Amino acid sequence: MRIIKRDPWHLPDSAATSESDYLNRRRFLKAAGLGAGALLGQSVANAATAGFPSMLNSKYKLEELEATPYDLIKGYNNFYEFSYDKGDVQKLANQGWKTEPWTIEIKGHVDNPMKIDVNDLIKKVGGIEQRVYRFRCVEAWSMVIPWDGFQLSKLIDLVQPNSKAKYLKFSTFYDPDSAPGQRGGSIDWPYVEGLTIEEARNPLSLLATGIYGKPIPNQNGAPIRLVVPWKYGFKGIKSIVKIEFISKRPLNTWQALQPREYGFYANVNPEVDHPRWSQASERIIGSGFFSSRKDTLMFNGYEEQVAHLYDGLDLRKNY
Amino acid sequence: MSPIARVLKKRRFFYPLFLLPIAYLAVPILTSDTELLADPAKYLLEYLGLASTLLFVVTLCITPLRKLFPKSSLIKSLAFHRRALGLSVFAYALLHIVVYYFYTGTWAEFVKDWSKLFILSGILAFVFMLALAITSNNRSVRALGGRNWKRLHRLAYAIMFLLIYHQATQEKTGYRETAQYFAPLIVLQTCRIAIALRDRNRKRTPAP
Repeated sequence: MRIIKRDPWHLPDSAATSESDYLNRRRFLKAAGLGAGALLGQSVANAATAGFPSMLNSKYKLEELEATPYDLIKGYNNFYEFSYDKGDVQKLANQGWKTEPWTIEIKGHVDNPMKIDVNDLIKKVGGIEQRVYRFRCVEAWSMVIPWDGFQLSKLIDLVQPNSKAKYLKFSTFYDPDSAPGQRGGSIDWPYVEGLTIEEARNPLSLLATGIYGKPIPNQNGAPIRLVVPWKYGFKGIKSIVKIEFISKRPLNTWQALQPREYGFYANVNPEVDHPRWSQASERIIGSGFFSSRKDTLMFNGYEEQVAHLYDGLDLRKNY
Repeated sequence: MSPIARVLKKRRFFYPLFLLPIAYLAVPILTSDTELLADPAKYLLEYLGLASTLLFVVTLCITPLRKLFPKSSLIKSLAFHRRALGLSVFAYALLHIVVYYFYTGTWAEFVKDWSKLFILSGILAFVFMLALAITSNNRSVRALGGRNWKRLHRLAYAIMFLLIYHQATQEKTGYRETAQYFAPLIVLQTCRIAIALRDRNRKRTPAP
């Protein structure tokens, strides 16, 4: 038997833009009366990640797992700023919402606060790398995603927090003109998330600017988002405009909405159920109708790297 | 009787309408809907549940509509198919549960969450529907006697509350969808109660 051993960064065919997508985009550009070259060229040149070739960090390659097809990663999105419907986000997030240029503000208890363009920030932290992470949604489904980005700790080193900084509070953009979901509903926009500074300093914490070696699509949180793979996906706040180093624990959006169902930590934990469903197992996105579930791993398989952060904490109460 | 009402009354025209939800699945299949591709079991689960819920709302709207518009031949035609409509609710609920089995993957996973109110409300509603479906034939009406049969079939209102709960708890923020689906039913049932109360008062008040 011949075993084909692929390099970990090998992209499956599904990673390429499908023919129909490509044709649709051309049609769209034509309809908009724009030169395809001009628009696409500019977009690629400016998006975060473009021009910053990423190398796979071999510490995080998850060789035993197959990466989720690109089409599903960019087509199956929870992004309530645009729609409650996972299938509608891709379309709605690409109807004139501008994700470049993009400025991110970092402030609070830091010696070196800054307001900086995302591309300049990437240069300052020394470029990006690729890491393949498990992604587990609180809705009991999972993907495997090859992210491009940089370790959050690099940004922390850059701004130099002082001893009063105990938590990081992240805020996403607020632009109801571009984001129809922000025009109403029961969510108090903008979306807010938080980490303890120890969690933020953990080497796993990543600020992602790309997927599959390409700039991160709008619907996945362009141009920069948080990725904390041992936590449920909603902790990974998208399209960040502000990071504040504060002394009190911030109230994250989902905890504010449903404190009985979603907490501050939101660590993946197969033993602590959601009130409506079990978290013991998960469905693998893209694996078909008859695929049975796979067991969910403690801290989503990152127990070794993060369990020490929660020593002495009752994880049943601090879900 | 209006021509539309006459056509609607015919079984061979009305019954194929029950297959519309299945036929409409062609849209996500033909357009390769990503939600369907990503997790087909979950997609079908929610789709069939919604089909059952909407058919249920239609079924329960018929009686209040008859009270409100006693002369409408259209509504009379609908009422003619009320039991068949009820059975279609049951059929889609059954498919919903079969897909739930595949969604969970194994028997152990399937039964694991029954203690959760969200799942329990659905299971209970299904058990009640089963009781109504089994006794939906004429023989059961005769065997039970009209009055008892009617009493038993008031379980439909218990099913209504269970479905409202089941639908509302699966919404993550607010209850917008639940309100949308059940609003017509709640409005019509309220009207029906109002009419019943009015009629009762009229009967009690002696004519001058």
